[in-house]
Amino acid sequence: MEDDIEQLKEPVDKKLLAIEPSYEQIPAGVLRRMGKALRMGVGTALPLMSQAASINGIIIGSANAGMDDCVKFLNQIIQYDEGQLTPGSFVQSTSNVIAGQLGMISKNKGYNITHIHLGLAFENALIDAMMQLYANPANSYLLGGVDEISPYHYNIETLAGSYKKETVSNKHLYETDSPGCIVGEGAAMFIVNNEPSAAVAKVIAVNTIHSKDIDVVQAQLKTFLQKNLPEGEAIDLFLSGENGDNRTLPFYTACESLLADDTAVVRYKHAVGDYATVSAIGLWYACNILQTQQVPRQMFKRETAKTGYHNILMYNNFKGLQHSFILVSDGK
Amino acid sequence: MGVISAIGNSVAENHHALKAVTCGVKKELDLFPSKYAGVLPFGQVQISTETLQKKLAITEPGVTRTTMLAMHAFNEAIADAGLSQPDLHSSETALIGANTVGGMCLTDELYHDANTDHDGSEYLGSYDGASVCLYLQKHYQIGGIINTINTACSSSANAIMYGAMLIQNGYAERAIVGGTDSLAKFTINGFNALHILSPDNCTPFDEGRQGLNLGEGAAFLVLEKEENINGRKIYAELTGYCNANDAYHPSSLSDQGDGPYLAMQGALTAAKLSPGQIDFINAHGTGTENNDVVESAAMIRLFDTPPAFASTKGNVGHTLGAAGAIEAVYSILSLVHQEVYPNLHFKNTIPATGLTPVQAYKKMTVDHVMSNSFGFGGNCSSLVFSKV
Repeated sequence: MEDDIEQLKEPVDKKLLAIEPSYEQIPAGVLRRMGKALRMGVGTALPLMSQAASINGIIIGSANAGMDDCVKFLNQIIQYDEGQLTPGSFVQSTSNVIAGQLGMISKNKGYNITHIHLGLAFENALIDAMMQLYANPANSYLLGGVDEISPYHYNIETLAGSYKKETVSNKHLYETDSPGCIVGEGAAMFIVNNEPSAAVAKVIAVNTIHSKDIDVVQAQLKTFLQKNLPEGEAIDLFLSGENGDNRTLPFYTACESLLADDTAVVRYKHAVGDYATVSAIGLWYACNILQTQQVPRQMFKRETAKTGYHNILMYNNFKGLQHSFILVSDGK
Repeated sequence: MGVISAIGNSVAENHHALKAVTCGVKKELDLFPSKYAGVLPFGQVQISTETLQKKLAITEPGVTRTTMLAMHAFNEAIADAGLSQPDLHSSETALIGANTVGGMCLTDELYHDANTDHDGSEYLGSYDGASVCLYLQKHYQIGGIINTINTACSSSANAIMYGAMLIQNGYAERAIVGGTDSLAKFTINGFNALHILSPDNCTPFDEGRQGLNLGEGAAFLVLEKEENINGRKIYAELTGYCNANDAYHPSSLSDQGDGPYLAMQGALTAAKLSPGQIDFINAHGTGTENNDVVESAAMIRLFDTPPAFASTKGNVGHTLGAAGAIEAVYSILSLVHQEVYPNLHFKNTIPATGLTPVQAYKKMTVDHVMSNSFGFGGNCSSLVFSKV
């Protein structure tokens, strides 16, 4: 993905679809039976897991993994009037299917869990990983966030008014003054441990809140920074989850306003779209920026004279209710 | 603690029914039309959805039975623990829920909303598993970490674990933890397609077992640090827990039962107990061919001679995402009342294991109880509760 970070792909039918590799590590017979979320999750995790010396557990956040198979099975129930049904879709319909399959394929008998709390599913997975590492400091865990645009879920969310009605080029996403986002999908996986020497980045703290009140969210961010940003350090870059939805924009503006004028402001959802566990992709972007010290020009909302990114603050807002702050540093 | 199940709508009713050896699993199903209604036995909660809605004073549209069952148990739990409005609003109060069905109990509405591009139903925001805790958060304005876990049939055991870890790691001062699931055409047909629904009442650990019965219900527990109790009632201490994976098959356990073994062993280690100190095991014991023989083998592997054990699936059916939390309540009742509840419908031991579950209600010394929950995806979790 490093080579592609400068590239922007236009939405197709108002959707930003994940570009899938050939998944060489998944046997063809197994791959054929996998739904897209499962395929993306397993296909992203396996190459990473094969590089790691040891993995003691698998921690996945996914709001809707299995939803596609769930409705496929439901359609069978209705169409065949509860007749003799094939269980394949039912078994793949539970949200824990990605973590379960990864455990099975990698023969990993350790901690294995799936967090499904919608727009904070990945954040809870991240908190879980941090807690596992407090309890077991020598361990390593696979941590990931995965969701797909399934036709059925897309239909339900369209009826609920989650997406933009008009066709928008991703180049102009932030100029729209209309409700809704461009839907996306994807998977991002990380190996997390307490070993700083080979680390790409360090997650300092994560905080979540449910609120529809901008003042409450802003106050939460103030407290979060007071508590977690070391004395004398600054937020060098604000990785904003702004998604072009005029219903959530005021929250992003309010959080941005708390930061110093020389904080770079960077956005990424025009490239990957928005979905419940998109913060996993956001964290990947943060890691990439810390590692390369480069930000593609099209990602800047506010470019500053600042050089050297040490501390990145991520803020994400899911449907104006579920908020998360993640502080990531280069660990130096 | 709060619980609602096929054998009662409160902790007191469930306790009474367990002592009275009550079977709540019957060939009755009137929640929705299904060709299996009256044919297969189910553990249906004996309150209609409309009555539940009235009882809970829910006026807004889009609230599912799964959420109502959760709210019923949640209300009992917070009242029992004496939590005030400010307690609930505090950023130190976490809510960790679990379920597997979510709003999929609404088969026809979901079918419409997933396949039609107009006239969305009132349930558009209610299908996913997170909708239960999102509703409870909104209703009670809960201020701390909110989460939903789905590890299939072990979901709410993991919700209890996650809540305990949040407290231990300083993310919360208290955690309201539990699970819920309602009966659904979806799960009935799913388990039926896997040929693991018993045509009659399930007979956990019996040689002639023919599968599981589906049930429904919810349970919530309030976990708090001992130093914050200030004279309020303490039922038990959660002394150990462990989550492990069987890493074998998407919908069945391996012959050697590594997942169940590792979960039970890890929970014992975490509780700093030796196998001989466990007085009673609340077994997962679903009544399927696969689960009961593997769970028995894993118990023998860890305990050599397993302690007294029983499954309550014969009383309430398999309540899926609620099972871990409901059975945590039952395990705690055993500790509080120094008694164990029998495994219903058992006749003959499985020859390969020779294990016989508890067959009659009895008073006994119970200092430490282990509760097992195993699920699809190889997800196995065990909890240990100890007498205070």
